Amino acid sequence: TNGSDVPPAGTPLAEFLQQLEDYTPTIPDTVTGYYLNRTGFDASDPRVVRMISLAAQKFISDIANDALQHCKMRGSGQSSRKVGKDKRYTLTMEDLTPALSEYGINVKKPYYFT
Amino acid sequence: MTSTGNSSLCAARRKAVSTCVAALCCDVGFHEADKIALETLTEMIQSYITELGRSAQTYCELSGRTEPMLNDVAVSLIEMGTDLAALTMHAKKSQRVLIQPQEQMRPPVT
Repeated sequence: TNGSDVPPAGTPLAEFLQQLEDYTPTIPDTVTGYYLNRTGFDASDPRVVRMISLAAQKFISDIANDALQHCKMRGSGQSSRKVGKDKRYTLTMEDLTPALSEYGINVKKPYYFT
Repeated sequence: MTSTGNSSLCAARRKAVSTCVAALCCDVGFHEADKIALETLTEMIQSYITELGRSAQTYCELSGRTEPMLNDVAVSLIEMGTDLAALTMHAKKSQRVLIQPQEQMRPPVT
């Protein structure tokens, strides 16, 4: 578990298992376990639950990162007006929609949601 | 099966997931977020976990077992188009917002 090299393609899963032992995902195990149990998944092995938590986190992080890039690109046109200020990035649907469409997900803002 | 169930248990889990999504967005570099965007991501992560669980369970039962192993999850992830090596790299990222696990007051009713 030392070093930051990419593991060789031969046995990545066994090594990955070892690393998951001391990895704490942001999503609590119990919360992921609840959603898994609802689908009939017997989530008794904590490592399996953690791997799913990790995958879900990566999924959301990747989308959020894409949205951030959209947000930065959109903001770069206007930034000439207020240079020197700390930029605060806001996650909006305006950025999220193009990020999601790259994943093939089309979201529409519901009309009733304010 | 809707992810926005009426029961208070659903709401509790949903709140936790919503906090996690917000933490992940902070981690990526956002400072604030619209409610609807967070709700969208919350809904998506719920669907993702549910779909991954369903798929892994199906692969598990296909090979005659009842308890899903890591291999079943790995196959499901590959089928869903996730790069497992990238997953490992993602896990190694050091700067993460951690939500401290709470003391369990009573056994969960499921």
